[in-house]
Amino acid sequence: MAAGRRVVVIGVSGHWGSELARRLERDPAISYLAGIDSRPPDADLERTEFIEADIRNPVLSRILPGTEADTVVHCGILLYPEPGKPARVLHDINVIGTLQLLAACERMTTLERVVVRGSAAIYGCEGAAPLFFSEDLARRPPLRTRFQRDISELEDYFANFARRHPEVTCCMLRYQPELGPGLDTPLARYLSLPVVPVQLGFDPRLQLLHTDDATGALVAAVANPVRGAVNVGPTGSVSLSRMLRLARRPTVGIPHPLFEPALARVGERLGVGRLWGDGVRFLRYGRGVDNTRLREEVSYEFAFDAEGTARDFAAGLRGRKIGPALHPGALIDRLAGARP
Amino acid sequence: MTGPSAPAAAPEAIADFLRRLRLGVEDGIGPLAAAEGAASALPDRLQHALEVVGRRLRGEYHEDEWGFDEDFAEAVYPLFEFLYDVWWRVEAEGVRNVPAHGRALLVANHAGSLFPFDASMILGAIMKQHPLPRWARFMVLDWAFVLPYLSSFMRRVGGVPASPLNAMRLLGQDELVMAFPEGVKGTGKPFSQRYRLQRFGRGGFVEIALRTGSPIVPVAVVGSEEIYPKIGESRAMARAVGAPFVPITPTFPLLGPLGLVPLPARWRIEFCEPVDLSGHGPDAADDRRVVFDISEQVRETIQQKLYENLAKRGSAFL
Repeated sequence: MAAGRRVVVIGVSGHWGSELARRLERDPAISYLAGIDSRPPDADLERTEFIEADIRNPVLSRILPGTEADTVVHCGILLYPEPGKPARVLHDINVIGTLQLLAACERMTTLERVVVRGSAAIYGCEGAAPLFFSEDLARRPPLRTRFQRDISELEDYFANFARRHPEVTCCMLRYQPELGPGLDTPLARYLSLPVVPVQLGFDPRLQLLHTDDATGALVAAVANPVRGAVNVGPTGSVSLSRMLRLARRPTVGIPHPLFEPALARVGERLGVGRLWGDGVRFLRYGRGVDNTRLREEVSYEFAFDAEGTARDFAAGLRGRKIGPALHPGALIDRLAGARP
Repeated sequence: MTGPSAPAAAPEAIADFLRRLRLGVEDGIGPLAAAEGAASALPDRLQHALEVVGRRLRGEYHEDEWGFDEDFAEAVYPLFEFLYDVWWRVEAEGVRNVPAHGRALLVANHAGSLFPFDASMILGAIMKQHPLPRWARFMVLDWAFVLPYLSSFMRRVGGVPASPLNAMRLLGQDELVMAFPEGVKGTGKPFSQRYRLQRFGRGGFVEIALRTGSPIVPVAVVGSEEIYPKIGESRAMARAVGAPFVPITPTFPLLGPLGLVPLPARWRIEFCEPVDLSGHGPDAADDRRVVFDISEQVRETIQQKLYENLAKRGSAFL
């Protein structure tokens, strides 16, 4: 197999799967690239062989060994419902899908590496907690939301697989929520509301991952995977209030018990949808992770820190003018004659 | 621009601004443009203040990875300065025992049932009397971080949830960290038990200091016990709000919100000689005997200094 690596991307039609495939196509060290998903990708992929299969279907166990791949990248974990993947199948896709994938991996004789694009939601969002979770602190706080329990369950299955197959390098990436120009997620839609509802008296520390780093870290982990869990979150943190000030978004405080229903109502009126997973707790307490392992062991260098991500997002938002400048910061700018 | 510099000119300047704004709008140049034109005639000092507020509102300020916001801390500092100088007449001794740079762990007794002010007054002593003042971070009872307002306030002025992981990371970044090993046992003890040190947890603070190679500076605080004398507690209320305890003081909850005003006791803060741990390696953190010995040594130092300073202070309020 001197010809190069053979890589399969699961969930290639999702945003992150397509981005990854696009980057891997340019890598000369990869001789064969395949993508598996239940619908064809929207993106133009040149040399990726598309295989149509549902991750929840046992047929995966016949397809996957046929690719003779040495690397499997699982990008099919959903953080929120997508078109064609409604909320009620989220659990099925994430947990049962991962189980089917691992069952298929058991049959592969050529497998050397498995990389899973998971979520830092496993740590939950706690007011009183270590402000920077390291990888060994998963499940230390109680699992509170459905999504958190799903992530924990699939990580358990994955850890069992890793134990049974010491010859395979199994890497679980725990992603902080992503944000970036052009990325459409419930969180990005929330942050771009003309007036942003916040939870009265709470100002969470956020670590939002820039889209460039989200793909960059995944590519780095595919090239140089390490065993076990790795946090993927930027260095530093930014508070929600400062982030919204940078984006010139006025806020309206809502007592925290009313936040979820209020946001659901506003969201539906404006067509931005509601927050998913642990979104409400995330916007109350925030979450920080320690990214030492990613920087030092996977040797990935971040392009953006937490503040950089916030500024980049704010610059993108400010470009879109909706109505007059409502934010007091913008008014005072004009008065002081200091324009950014 | 030659604006008048006397403070009395401020209302005049604002009236002038409003007059120009009205004239501008009457001339039909649009309210925003009129405001801009009128603002250009403001005196320098007001324009500077406007700029500071603008920077704040635009989010152009610094927060570190812990959420500590130095501008905010400086803005609320005068309130604590008032408590320090006028209300509690704090006298501090041995501030030079706090290292001017590099990591160090300040360990103090904890008291003040309703709202423990000891961290803020220790910080005040360092800021006011140290030749090289520096901000210190302090460990705060976890419960404060699930409450609205209090959580974001604590975070901005340098508080972090009391977790050894937070303390170790901060010390690893060469910060000055304050810990109160008595925890809730210290703040929740009745008034009759004042200045009697409670158990120092499991000696976790010694482990932290050993693992990070930080010197321990014991600090004795006198005066914090008298600000909210706890004469009873309400279990029902504590259960209702999820607090570790809800104290009853002579003024709270009897006088309602007025009962939150702390009594004007006199304070003394003594910073003791640092306990040098460089003789032990980081592995000593797993040696229970070493950890308990050092913990007990620090506890005894603080207890002895508490008695000394109580005697030096004399009357609690006058």
